[in-house]
Amino acid sequence: MIEPILKITGLTACYGKISAIKAINFYAHDNEIVGIVGPNGAGKTTLLESIAGSMRIKNGRIFFLGRHIEKWPVLKRRQLGLMLVPQEGNVFPMMSVKKNLEISVILSNRAERKGLIDYVYELFPILWERRKQIANTLSGGQQKMLAVGLGITSNARVMLIDEPSIGLAPKLVTRLFETLKKIKEDTKKTIVLSEQNIKILNIADRLFGLEAGKIRFDEKTKNLSRDIVKDLYLGSIS
Amino acid sequence: MLLNGIITGLIMGGILSLPVLGVAVIYGITGIPNFAIGVIGVLGGFVTWYFLSFNMGVAIVIGIAVCFIIGYIIQRILLTPISERGGDSTLFFIITVSVGFVFEGIIRAIFPRPNISLELPRIGTINLAGVTVEGFKIFALLFALGTLVVIRLLEEHTEIGKSWQATSQNLKLAKLIGINTNRVFSIASGIGCALACVGAIFWGSLYNLQVSTGWDLGFMGFIIAVVGGIGNIWGGIISALIMGMVMSFSGYLLGGEWQSVILYFIVILVLIIAPKGILGSERSL
Ligand SMILES: Nc1ncnc2c1ncn2[C@@H]1O[C@H](COP(=O)(O)OP(=O)(O)OP(=O)(O)O)[C@@H](O)[C@H]1O
Ligand SMILES: [Mg+2]
Repeated sequence: MIEPILKITGLTACYGKISAIKAINFYAHDNEIVGIVGPNGAGKTTLLESIAGSMRIKNGRIFFLGRHIEKWPVLKRRQLGLMLVPQEGNVFPMMSVKKNLEISVILSNRAERKGLIDYVYELFPILWERRKQIANTLSGGQQKMLAVGLGITSNARVMLIDEPSIGLAPKLVTRLFETLKKIKEDTKKTIVLSEQNIKILNIADRLFGLEAGKIRFDEKTKNLSRDIVKDLYLGSIS
Repeated sequence: MLLNGIITGLIMGGILSLPVLGVAVIYGITGIPNFAIGVIGVLGGFVTWYFLSFNMGVAIVIGIAVCFIIGYIIQRILLTPISERGGDSTLFFIITVSVGFVFEGIIRAIFPRPNISLELPRIGTINLAGVTVEGFKIFALLFALGTLVVIRLLEEHTEIGKSWQATSQNLKLAKLIGINTNRVFSIASGIGCALACVGAIFWGSLYNLQVSTGWDLGFMGFIIAVVGGIGNIWGGIISALIMGMVMSFSGYLLGGEWQSVILYFIVILVLIIAPKGILGSERSL
């Protein structure tokens, strides 16, 4: 079997004394969409932030592109090719759409920059129309598109996206997911996204079920039924 | 007299606006209130004075460079690490005031002179609607306004300027996107201290420079910045010009003793009416 480009073993992270994720094993291959599904408070954000380096971990190893990065600061992980689009606060609020995108290509070389930004405008034409508008005056859906756009322009090998569907109308969710799939096919990159929306089944190659800080399943999407995923949510309610 | 008061006020405000800009740049970008920048600026003024007989241009450059480096280093080794561990405003107040006292001591130790005056060329006089003003004072005012414009242009058109904006608007995202925010902080702190130094140099050549002037410049800079809307550089400059005017007129009408009474009375009044300052602030203390 091919080695995964991102592999996490025994990852534990805490808020104070309470551990939000416990001994997580997780991996992602090149050019796949991996979903992390789980109810509110399952630890999805904690896991993604730990991978990106914006959350300090207690235990475990993170292996990315042949390096152990668990002790690296955010910037160094970013330079190696990891980018997180966070769940909240994922745009620069007082900057125009255009400037948001211009600043997000900062690590790319000059020759690539325009192509990356144009690609975002091609995926989300509304952002091109609104390019002069200040980010915090965009609608929720448009802000999400911009946030995903910042992930794309980062040109990272692995893009981590934290619950992009939250607060979006069902139609927009479908469109956004289709776009993510297109991004994977166009760019041959890896997308890891956390979700509560069942539509994730339509685009993910594999799913990790997360509940109460622990991995409940790790399956190819084609082997999963809607019920298994739904049980995960119901399980936490009962 | 009216015109005279306005011109004096504008010039005073213009000079004060340099430390105000220093405060605004540092606070706007790092979120840290640094009360030491006035003292650091005055240290730069003393350094400039020391080299002045050698060559004026070189002396000014050395003074400013020393301040930039000090600002850069204290941010790097002291303020950024504390901020990462979650320091709050009170802690930063105490730490930066202590840093100020350290540098005050250093000035006293290196330059055992209580009081200096920087002899810079006067560039003649200019006649403005019947009032004669020293060209140098006009230059000081224009310099302050020019600095503001330069900062604005940098923010709009250069990568480093955009990184400043990004860092001040959303620190976490700036890091995630790949901005070296620690370097942004250090440069901001360096620039802030360098601006305070330019302010001190102008002050020292128009009036005179004492070791304690640093505290006046620092605190006044801070208070004026808060009145304008802290972190907001337009607000800062407008506030500086208004305060310069207030000082000049209260000085003319009531005498020098009343200057600070009137000034701080107005400061308190403004902050009661508009706690976030004249133009408002993104961040709050
Ligand atoms: N800043 C914090 N301080 C203390 N506990 C926290 C903090 N953030 C999260 N937690 C706790 O850690 C656990 C995991 O939270 P996390 O945000 O990772 O979940 P999530 O799966 O992303 O949830 P959501 O779907 O609501 O975003 C939860 O029990 C939550 O209450
Ligand atoms: Mg979350």
